[in-house]
Amino acid sequence: MKYTIFKAAIAAIALGFTISGCNSPKAKGTGEMSSEAVTGEEVAVLTDAPNVPPPITRKHPTKVMVNLEVIEKEMEMMDGVKYIFWTFGGSVPGKFIRVREGDLVDFTLLNMPDNKLPHNIDLHAVNGPGGGAEATMVAPGQSGHFQFKALNPGLYVYHCATGPVGMHIANGMYGLILVEPQAGMSKVDREFYIMQGDFYTKGKFGEKGLQEFDMDKAIKEDADYVVFNGKVNANAGPNAMKAKVNETVRLYVGNGGPNLASSFHVIGEIFDKVYVEGGDMVNKNVQTTVVPPGGATIIDMKMNVPGTYHIVDHAIFRTFHKGTLAQIKVEGDEAPNIYAKIKK
Amino acid sequence: MKHRTFTQKSKNNRHTATGSRCPLRLKYMKYLFCYGVLFFFPFLVRAQETAHMSIGEKRMLPIKEGLYKSFFNTGNGKPVKVKKFHLDEYAVTNEEYLEFVKANPQWRKSRVNRLFADTNYLRHWESDLSIGEKNREIYRSPVVYVSWFAAKAYCAWKQKRLPTVAEWELAANAPPKNQKYGTLTEYILNWYKKPNPAVLPAVKSTYCNTNGLYDMHGLVWEWVFDFNSYIRGGDSRAKGNEDKNLFCAASSLDVKDRTDYAAFLRFGYRGSLKGNYCIANLGFRCAKD
Repeated sequence: MKYTIFKAAIAAIALGFTISGCNSPKAKGTGEMSSEAVTGEEVAVLTDAPNVPPPITRKHPTKVMVNLEVIEKEMEMMDGVKYIFWTFGGSVPGKFIRVREGDLVDFTLLNMPDNKLPHNIDLHAVNGPGGGAEATMVAPGQSGHFQFKALNPGLYVYHCATGPVGMHIANGMYGLILVEPQAGMSKVDREFYIMQGDFYTKGKFGEKGLQEFDMDKAIKEDADYVVFNGKVNANAGPNAMKAKVNETVRLYVGNGGPNLASSFHVIGEIFDKVYVEGGDMVNKNVQTTVVPPGGATIIDMKMNVPGTYHIVDHAIFRTFHKGTLAQIKVEGDEAPNIYAKIKK
Repeated sequence: MKHRTFTQKSKNNRHTATGSRCPLRLKYMKYLFCYGVLFFFPFLVRAQETAHMSIGEKRMLPIKEGLYKSFFNTGNGKPVKVKKFHLDEYAVTNEEYLEFVKANPQWRKSRVNRLFADTNYLRHWESDLSIGEKNREIYRSPVVYVSWFAAKAYCAWKQKRLPTVAEWELAANAPPKNQKYGTLTEYILNWYKKPNPAVLPAVKSTYCNTNGLYDMHGLVWEWVFDFNSYIRGGDSRAKGNEDKNLFCAASSLDVKDRTDYAAFLRFGYRGSLKGNYCIANLGFRCAKD
């Protein structure tokens, strides 16, 4: 009897802690969230890079159903170079997920029946043990299901956290989830999704055929490929992203790693705004911003002058020898007052 | 596959034999040969019978007692002593499993208790008692889409049992007989990475190890008796003691010790299972003391 009372007391204290604990994440967000009730239900629009789902126009939180499939499949890492990728949704990086602060996210991870291995997902946007990893650890053919409240606005990485984690990530298991703040985001003309990743293969960079994952190199952090959006030239040349002069472009940039930090830079542009580390703090007039593995950042830049803009990791050997290059082609009238080539 | 090439060869031989004109003496030889065949006929039949028997009563190979050093620290961290035991030379096939289902109606697709096998149970079979004519190619392939409960029941029906993790791992650690692959670990890792083939190959289609066991890696995952006794959490990183083992193991993996890397994936796989799961690439083989 005494013991029961004692237990009850402990429970009450613990509950007190939990309640007070709830306040802290709210303080991190824009606040006021608790006053909004979750109403309705919708299925999340998911997109492959470089596309981003449309901005959220809703003014209230809702229940958002996210259904993501884990697919192990052979794809090209470069023209003629094949690799067996493990993916969230069939491509690398995984599907872009967009929700609003305060939303109740109902998440289902399906591990496709023909996959060989168990997988799970750790979303950095989750407040809870393992970021969902424990709840979604699933064998092939099974699905894992959990819910989380999107308490903190920002841009977050998600990735597979099944052991050996490094190998799962090195095979392409990462993507981004954006939690839009309640107040919404400033309007821009175009939005793109870019995610960097490093890959380790038995053959050297460019060696044709099916390439195997090389664990020795992964441990030594000696990458053969460092690429944007899962493939050399995924968004360069004919696949370059497009914009028009005087448009503001927003880049949602993530880094899956597993090992290498990105010195993210756009040649010929200055970032007007950088949402540092994908959070609330905005830095202005930035040339190069660091995106660490497992981290993300949001960049706004106005394209003043037409031409092709090269997106690189300014650890520049990676661009010339390992593949970190993407392009934005900007069309429109010349702006000689801003930039002019002087003929002799 | 091997079998097919063999029959093809003998056909060719016959063709050349009839095509060539033999001298008289050889003709008598022919008679001699024919009588010879008659003489040996009873023996041939018996040989055929035993060949047939070997499908039903497949060989069980002795595995010497040994120490299995667990991938995870279990208990006091000392290696597990594994007593001498016997293990099926190859995984239970669809054909073999059909016999079990015929003899045990409670394990038919339509009757199985959902607590013991999920809705995927034998989903690749045409019906309760037929694998299906269109699935002819997989008659001799390992049976998959079977639960742990089903595997256990099958082995009991055969007066056998499922091997333990320690037994299975000890038996499977033996290297391939003919070293076709760089290392066994590399071979295993490559197999782990690849999605399932459209048609699951037959048993004995991969390698034979020095214990005489076929396909311990490279064909299907296999149920073991205590599959869930190592990892309980779904998160492989630090959280709770059992997970910490996994986490520590991860950090202790160095380049020299890559066998453990494959084991890491294997233990992760086992950790994701529940007893009633029926999965496309998960079969089993039986053990006996």
